[in-house]
Amino acid sequence: MTQSEIIEALLAFIEQDDASEAAFERMALAVFAYQFAHNAPYRRFAIQRGRTTLTVRSWRDIPAVPISAFKTLTLSCTPPEAAERIFMTSGTTQGGVRGKSHHPTMAVWSRSMLVNFRRRFMQGRERIAMGILFPDEVVMPNSSLAHYLALAKRDCGTPDSEGFIGASGLDLARLIAALERAEASGEPYALLGASFSFVHLLDALAAQGRRFALPAGSRILDTGGFKGQSREMTPDAFYDALSAALGVPRTACINMYGMTELSTQFYDDGNAVCPPVKSGPHWIRSRVVDPVSGRDLPEGATGVLVHHDLAHFNCASAILTEDAGVMVEGGFRLLGRVDGADSKGCSVAVEEFLRAARG
Amino acid sequence: MIETAGHLPGLPAGEVAWRTLDFSAWGEHVQVRVPELTTAQATTLAGHVREQARTYLRTLPVSQIVATLDAAIARLLDRADPWRRRAEAVLPIVTGYDRESVRLGLSGYLRSFRAPQLQRFLAEDFANPAMLDGFQPAMKGGFTRAQGPQLLLHIWAGNVPGLSLWSLISGLLVKAGTVGKVASAEPLLAGWFAQILAEIDPKLGQCLAVVWWKGGDEEAERAWLCEADTVIAYGGNDALAAIRERVPVTARFLPHGHRIGFGLIGAEALDTRRAGPLARLVAQDVARWEQQGCYSPQMLFVARGAAVSPREFAERVSQELGALSPRHPRRALSVAEAAGVADWRSREEMRGFDEDGTVVLGEAGDGWSVVFSDAAQPLAPSALNRTLKIVAVDSLDAVPPLVAPARAYLQTAAVAASPRELFRIATLLGEAGVTRICGFGAMAAPEAGWHNDGRFNLLDLVRLTEIEQSAERAADGFADYVD
Repeated sequence: MTQSEIIEALLAFIEQDDASEAAFERMALAVFAYQFAHNAPYRRFAIQRGRTTLTVRSWRDIPAVPISAFKTLTLSCTPPEAAERIFMTSGTTQGGVRGKSHHPTMAVWSRSMLVNFRRRFMQGRERIAMGILFPDEVVMPNSSLAHYLALAKRDCGTPDSEGFIGASGLDLARLIAALERAEASGEPYALLGASFSFVHLLDALAAQGRRFALPAGSRILDTGGFKGQSREMTPDAFYDALSAALGVPRTACINMYGMTELSTQFYDDGNAVCPPVKSGPHWIRSRVVDPVSGRDLPEGATGVLVHHDLAHFNCASAILTEDAGVMVEGGFRLLGRVDGADSKGCSVAVEEFLRAARG
Repeated sequence: MIETAGHLPGLPAGEVAWRTLDFSAWGEHVQVRVPELTTAQATTLAGHVREQARTYLRTLPVSQIVATLDAAIARLLDRADPWRRRAEAVLPIVTGYDRESVRLGLSGYLRSFRAPQLQRFLAEDFANPAMLDGFQPAMKGGFTRAQGPQLLLHIWAGNVPGLSLWSLISGLLVKAGTVGKVASAEPLLAGWFAQILAEIDPKLGQCLAVVWWKGGDEEAERAWLCEADTVIAYGGNDALAAIRERVPVTARFLPHGHRIGFGLIGAEALDTRRAGPLARLVAQDVARWEQQGCYSPQMLFVARGAAVSPREFAERVSQELGALSPRHPRRALSVAEAAGVADWRSREEMRGFDEDGTVVLGEAGDGWSVVFSDAAQPLAPSALNRTLKIVAVDSLDAVPPLVAPARAYLQTAAVAASPRELFRIATLLGEAGVTRICGFGAMAAPEAGWHNDGRFNLLDLVRLTEIEQSAERAADGFADYVD
């Protein structure tokens, strides 16, 4: 398949309402064949794992690239300089080395984001007034989250939607004014942003003794965890505090789980109970594996998540994450990061060693 | 199965709150009850231990302490003894190490603490160990006596069974009132040892306590840190830094941070006759305690130019690790540990793509991984749990610069080389920061009296009291026999 053929096929696939196992399989094998043919580092990786287009029979056989590989290899089917966009990880781990995903076109990424976002977050609503708690694309051109939020605002936000994180951080006064207007208007309001930004908002509101009761139908979308950018909160404390401060029930507090190394996001249906079940659309499938052998673990067993995202066609569609999870009915539960630093012995662990080496 | 951890002389067990820790391995399950003391109980216990040590332990001659320790170790070495049986039955479940590894590892380790070996501990640090019992003539004139701390607090870490005994015994040899905090990963052996001592000498049993608190419980930790005049702590640098901050400035703090071990193999060790047995010893060092020890090897530097090439040697080590697995299977890894191993393996695979001659040997599903690199690389940690990186070097002289940047983490290096080469390279390694050089096969079994991290086991614990010649001369003037 050529690039334009695979893009066309994927766009059509995303537009379908659903996909059977067999349809997913067909598309996954086509994407694998495309990546195997055009992405040299991925081909070497697959061959090293003993997987070629001849031996891979099922989407589950497609070798999953560890996300750390995105930091060391240029995984792209097209020349990287031809990319329309390059998304980069935040580089908080591994001494600032950032993982990169190259996108020769944003068409598939954007389609994947929007179709899924409408279904899972908008839930039938055409537009909603949005407040964005994250810097915009001008400030962060390589952030997939900035692009995600820009798309959400452009395609699903009302004209008075606005961002509240500027060069000097959270513009609290403007945000409080917006929340007051929303409260008075009776129209639902949506706040979207990085989880750590919400913590800063909660702290600021608490310091002022402010609380809001946003109108029914209002909702919150947080993503990305705290990443050392705010104090850590347990999920229950976090959603309780959001609910109390903004008057949005925990069932309307939706967490998005995405990553730079993917083109599709996962959502839950609210955080009444933590950790909630997360799931994605029909063009992404997940497995829970034993990270050493790569073998599937039975439902209910804790392992590491592997995602097969067909929309990530230019890089590598199958990725081995650093997230622990467990498969359950209807999706998976995300159990936090596994960082491999669980050594209980007195041999120095990699993480400490690297930190010391960086000084 | 339910076990109770700790040793709390003078505290009624009924008044103590207990928490249960669960352990599973090899299809078996054990619950371990660990004590959770209140601040008041900690203070009471500290006072009791300090007072008992003052009135009893300090009056004992060192030779008698050695005899009691020797008797206790003899019981743990006796495979028919109920304490030993208990250790063999329970420790594999708690630590996850296979039964044979625990059995062999315990025996090998405990042998370091029999009476002759304890004499070595004493002789290594004291020209005249009698100075622990009373004033002894000093070289410069006058007399000197060494006194251990009144209350020595050990904060143990790690899941290598019995690691705690090293510092526990060192403390008792200098007659310190002793309180040890066991690690959640192996909370039992130190308490058992205290109870065996108490069975042999009940009054000695009053001079030491074994306690537990949850890692990160600052309040419990602070209570103990305020009581101790000397603190020995094991752990990662972050944990040690946090403890150091809370240790009163008047107390002595002796930290033992995490370390990285490595090995060097010279060309003379790589003829076809010697390479096989050497590879077996390397594999044993790697498999022992799953590289969790500070002395465990994580990387090997192998010289080129011999009949057996570095690459061939790496393959032999792989074969030996493969041969060890059925007899000593790797313990079950947690998800985080497994992810660590997978991440390490895949990073090395990626390196291979850059064609620097990196090869990952063995299958992902094997219970071990060896990575071979044809290009020299600086010392770096492996993922532990039987993962080893072997790199080729033109000669052993290339190694000191490759390990020197890790100076703060260096400790043990195993060397296979001719005597002349051994001493030559040892000088360079010592300058780079290495404090222990041993043979392969002995990395995880340091000899009795070993100066852990290049420091003194006993000397670092004591304070000297000196009677200067002036006092002695002056005293003469006040004697009743004076003319």
